[in-house]
Amino acid sequence: MASNREQFEVSGNMKTWSIGLMGVGILAFIIGFITKGLSSDEHQQAIFWGTLLYNSIFFLLICNASMFFICVTTLAHGGWQVTFRRVPEAISAVVPIFGLIAIFILFFIVFGLNHGDHNLIYHWRIPGNDQIILKKTGFLNPPFFVIWTLLSIGLWSYLGMRMRKLSQESDETSMNPEQGNRWIVRNTVIAALFTVWFGLTVGSTTPWLWLMSIDTHWYSTMYSWYTFASSFVTGMALIALFVIYLKNKGYLEYTNDEHLHDIGKFMFAFSIFWTYLWFSQYMLIWYSNQPEETTYFQPRTKEGVWKGVYYLNLVINFLCPLLILMTKNSKRNYTVMAFMAVLIIFGHWMDFNQMVMASISRDHVTLGWLDFGIAALYVGMLIFFVGKALAKVPLIPKNHPFLKESIIHHT
Amino acid sequence: MAGSKPNQMHLKYESQIREPLVDGNKDYHQITEDIIRPIEAKPSKLWYIGFSISVALLLFGVYSVYRDVTYGIGQWNLNKTIGWGWDITNFVWWVGIGHAGTLISAILLLFRQGWRTGVNRAAEAMTIFAVMCAGQFPIFHMGRVWLAFFIFPYGNTRGPVWVNFDSPLLWDVFAISTYFTVSLLFWYSGLIPDLATVRDRAKTKFRKFFYGTLSFGWTGSTKHWQRHEALSLVLAGLATPLVLSVHTIVSFDFATSVIPGWHTTIFPPYFVAGAIFSGFAMVQTLLIVVRKVLNLQEYITLGHIEAMNKVIVLTGSIVGCAYLTELFMAWYSQNEYEAYAFFYSRANIFSPYGWAYWGMMFCNVVSPQVFWFRKLRRNVVFTFFMSVIVNIGMWFERFVIIVTSIYRDYLPSSWSYYYSPTIWEIGFYLGTFGLFFTCFFLFAKYFPTIAVAEIKYVLKTSGENYKERMDKVEEQKVEEFAHDYAH
Repeated sequence: MASNREQFEVSGNMKTWSIGLMGVGILAFIIGFITKGLSSDEHQQAIFWGTLLYNSIFFLLICNASMFFICVTTLAHGGWQVTFRRVPEAISAVVPIFGLIAIFILFFIVFGLNHGDHNLIYHWRIPGNDQIILKKTGFLNPPFFVIWTLLSIGLWSYLGMRMRKLSQESDETSMNPEQGNRWIVRNTVIAALFTVWFGLTVGSTTPWLWLMSIDTHWYSTMYSWYTFASSFVTGMALIALFVIYLKNKGYLEYTNDEHLHDIGKFMFAFSIFWTYLWFSQYMLIWYSNQPEETTYFQPRTKEGVWKGVYYLNLVINFLCPLLILMTKNSKRNYTVMAFMAVLIIFGHWMDFNQMVMASISRDHVTLGWLDFGIAALYVGMLIFFVGKALAKVPLIPKNHPFLKESIIHHT
Repeated sequence: MAGSKPNQMHLKYESQIREPLVDGNKDYHQITEDIIRPIEAKPSKLWYIGFSISVALLLFGVYSVYRDVTYGIGQWNLNKTIGWGWDITNFVWWVGIGHAGTLISAILLLFRQGWRTGVNRAAEAMTIFAVMCAGQFPIFHMGRVWLAFFIFPYGNTRGPVWVNFDSPLLWDVFAISTYFTVSLLFWYSGLIPDLATVRDRAKTKFRKFFYGTLSFGWTGSTKHWQRHEALSLVLAGLATPLVLSVHTIVSFDFATSVIPGWHTTIFPPYFVAGAIFSGFAMVQTLLIVVRKVLNLQEYITLGHIEAMNKVIVLTGSIVGCAYLTELFMAWYSQNEYEAYAFFYSRANIFSPYGWAYWGMMFCNVVSPQVFWFRKLRRNVVFTFFMSVIVNIGMWFERFVIIVTSIYRDYLPSSWSYYYSPTIWEIGFYLGTFGLFFTCFFLFAKYFPTIAVAEIKYVLKTSGENYKERMDKVEEQKVEEFAHDYAH
């Protein structure tokens, strides 16, 4: 194949789409800001900021999932993913940008949405006389929130950047096995640091702080692992989508059905894993039936208005992947995989929607034009920045010690 | 893309960076010799000593159980409010150990981890024996063991006496019996080609008959292999969810209740991680001995031990994350009963069982962190020591969960006195060790402890002598390599 296919170029079409989506998104943002953000109705304001909140966290976490994928495959000495490794690298390059936006939104909610005796989204911000919340302020307080948010996003960005730098370093000179081994060890060290930090943030504290604390009284030990599963499976779907796009454009010559098949396995397996965590959390709370815990599910099930979204979520994120991705052929079919990737991304975006919005607006479903508008803004930015990152470095890490294994990869 | 004809040489390529999975200058015949020979030789003195000790322990266990049945479980120190004590602790502990085998055979197969071939056979055997041990405890815990068949739902004349489908204890019956069946089938179907190899080499009539019967007339024809591979795939598919489901349901035994310290949503995945953690520790304990006694260091290499230690540090850290999450939520929830269970009964070292909690923390969370260091991961003696520490820690985990949550009920009048087991509770536990090791010694003597056929499968990609010949491919330019492969 021609050598120019090793270097990605952002096509006019891609540019148009990304800018178009961003345009739509900005328009939605402006109209939303005027009609809801500046509204005298506090509830409308809360919906506006809540929508920004879950979108910013969702898109940040699914991009960060790409770096998690790189790090765990590095730690496991995985070889199969090397031919398309530059794709998750490019996706993870968006983390600092989305991180900055998320920081701005989170901080604005904490500091800018205090109306008299309450905060519009985080009730712990002004606990008033609530004895339970008052006792939680050791964890739920602005200084800790600020420090932990900055640390979380800062270290994801920094360690991710180190991983990408190391990867690019390998493009400079070819390595003999001994040098290759040393390079792998250097990768392993940073990947281990990232993975541990990922566990301490995404796997535990950060979702409690950003998301679970919206229902300030409520608690569930599973919450963060659930959030992780949701964002990781979406991250895999995102990788699949970009791989398919690049393949269709004639790039990634060494990536073939075998690799796509394995990405499909990840999408399948982690959809089931997400369902497993969903079921465990739901069933245990349903079974013991304690009011402190069931309160979370009240707007979401039975008589709750969010019931439709909540169960549709389960159909899209569990039944569809289970039935459609089960066979070998579907995981090797570009069209089916592209469709499923879009569906999974949409399904988990809706999951994040209900996780946040059903807590902010318990009495009516808010899913509407603003949600899709803000999502369009994010998708536009995602395409734009990932495209840029892809064009920066060669698409194939040609000196990676496991590249040859990846080329002959057979699933 | 599809339709290309891969070059033979390139199909067998593996990066030089990876350690060989089979050391030494091996060919197919040598592998058969190395692994089958111990079966054909007379057992060593060491084997007889180990086997005798195991049988003695087993007999002590049988006597303890005989007493349990004759006099009732009143001879255990269970009391109000400690209705579950050593028995259920041991049950969960053994079930947990029984997780590594199927994880190695099914999930690591899906993850294409070549190193599993060196350890899967013994790990699967261990799984089956561990589940056998585990099953004893709930059965004898029932007290009137002769009515144990009441746990099965079938049309009967007992009127309203019927199983409770809402009870996780019943789900356990289904989960564990299914797991046992699939694990057994998986293990045995993998054994068939190897048993046929033993049969073909057999010199005595009896051995020919014995291994001939066990190998079901296997001839090694293409048809046989084809069916065998198809069956393995189906069983792997079935076994994968089972690895998760068994301990998930065991965790439901606790988490569906409203007992402080038991009712928490993270229990299912955290129990599974803990089970894999202890399972791998037990595999290490056994295989470090087996590789030495049977001279299998070239098949169970330092690389294998290192890989398992990586799984141990990973799962240990996941378990640690769950412990801390629970502890945090006990505070965050501002639920005073949770706080009592965690901060008074467990984390307070001066409380009656505080020592057990901190022992568990040390063994399961702190100590495996040493495996971040490569030198220690590859130190055989140290690994053996650590594997024992981990299993002690995991026993304490179950003990802490069970006993510290129930020894003080809501009313101080329902606080129990300090619980320590009687000799018959200990005897029962030791007896299961006897059963476990008796089975394992018999297995190691009469069956190939390493999957001969599977090792042969990885030899040409990962054998030391074959890897040495890959230098040329390693030096080849990527474009050339890809071109050669495609044509």
